[in-house]
Amino acid sequence: MNISMTRIQAIFMKDYKEFSRNYAVSLMIFVPFVLAFFYNKTGISSISEYFLPINIGFSMVTAYVQCCLIAEEKEKNTLRNLMLSPASLGDILIGKSLFVFIMTMIVVGITIFLVGYNPANIFIIAIALMLSSVFYIALGTLCGLFAKSIMEGSIIILPVILIFPLGSYASPLSTVYPALKFMEWLPSSQLVLLAEALEGSYSATDVIIPIVTIIVWSIFAWIITAFIYKKRMVD
Amino acid sequence: MNAVIEVQHLKKIFQKETALQDVSFKIQKGEIFGFLGPSGSGKTTTIKILTAQTDKTDGDVLLFGRPAKEMKKSQNRKRFGILTDNSGLYTRLSIEENLLLYSDLYQLSKTAVKEALDFVNLYTERKKKVSQLSKGMIQRVTLARAIMHKPDLLFLDEPTSALDPVNTQHIYNGLRKLNEMGTTIFLTTHDMSEAEILCDRVAFLHKGKIRAMGSPKELKKKFGDESITVELKNGEIAVIQNGSEDASKLYEWMQSNEVSRIYTNEPTLGDIFMQITGSDLV
Repeated sequence: MNISMTRIQAIFMKDYKEFSRNYAVSLMIFVPFVLAFFYNKTGISSISEYFLPINIGFSMVTAYVQCCLIAEEKEKNTLRNLMLSPASLGDILIGKSLFVFIMTMIVVGITIFLVGYNPANIFIIAIALMLSSVFYIALGTLCGLFAKSIMEGSIIILPVILIFPLGSYASPLSTVYPALKFMEWLPSSQLVLLAEALEGSYSATDVIIPIVTIIVWSIFAWIITAFIYKKRMVD
Repeated sequence: MNAVIEVQHLKKIFQKETALQDVSFKIQKGEIFGFLGPSGSGKTTTIKILTAQTDKTDGDVLLFGRPAKEMKKSQNRKRFGILTDNSGLYTRLSIEENLLLYSDLYQLSKTAVKEALDFVNLYTERKKKVSQLSKGMIQRVTLARAIMHKPDLLFLDEPTSALDPVNTQHIYNGLRKLNEMGTTIFLTTHDMSEAEILCDRVAFLHKGKIRAMGSPKELKKKFGDESITVELKNGEIAVIQNGSEDASKLYEWMQSNEVSRIYTNEPTLGDIFMQITGSDLV
């Protein structure tokens, strides 16, 4: 794949400027901060509670913002013009994702601070958070590619916002509702399982399974995203 | 001469509707070719097929001697520029920021942005946000973006539809200059005067089919007559043909100082279109 740093940087800077001037979307980054702040004040007793604002941040900031950025490009026909320029599939997807990735890392960092979470192994948690971010960016891109406008994108992304952050909360219900069993395997649930394991004496499997699960979700999501993107290149 | 565009028996069907049928034409390097037709005649679909935005149903489409599908490749996209009715500009960014983005995507020098802005007469307005621009100014920015990388082939879909006469003239001069520098131009329009001013050759597209093709001069000769109209001072209007009888009549009127006005009955391209298709261009 033909990748150019100049093009990636140009798309990144363009997205930064557009995002900073689009208050309707940029204000969303404060949602996890507010949630984390109040959650901290009410007292947190478990790892899954620490991870609720973090996982909400992934869906409401990472996936939502990425979805809106892509949906707006489609609505204003700017994505088609980018596709007609020499920018390759890689340039466009990396350029557009890099901005949301960096923003996510900052938002998650501040959220962790505000919620008062102190990870037992910051290195492994950081890797898992980065991988989760990659997955949610793919999910946002995919939703954005299906939407024709920002309005439509905001609706398409709703199931993501509702289902994905609540994985660890819904999985105990799987004993009553077996259909919810899959929730255990959502990246948000795996993130909580990983963090819980790291708090005690953990084995390599306790780390590898959640990490590999998040990687598999990410690869799967990006393959579908690239396929849909290529389909969207033509009418 | 090298054919920049070569289209043979092109057919495009959208679901059950035929948008293009047996369309064939060739455009040589350095030509300005006008694709004329009313809305819905298939002009934009043709551009979309040529720029690999839409797949053809049947036929052969070559650009620079290669299948049009290859225009999807990143390196081939540098060879053409396109102006469509959808500007595709970032409204929260300034004119300059929009062009700087594309200058980076095309990996051009910073002077390219200034040259493009001068071309469309917008250099002094470069800091304005796109959201504050009029339709005509947006059209000019879109054109600047299309020509910024000095493409070998330029697709213009109704390039002056939103422009005032002064800027239209400015754009015409710029396009001619660009053409003199070697850029081949494929222009779609329903403005017949624009086609007459700019195009070396035109094709009339109607309901997805090419009805006539040639230089404006050739078409006028083919579809016009050689008569002239004479308006006399007494208000009488006479149409006279080539030939000694009518010539002596005209001679007599002129001798007796009776002629008020004389004009040819050369048809406009619009007249020819109407004659061929039986419908108007709008």
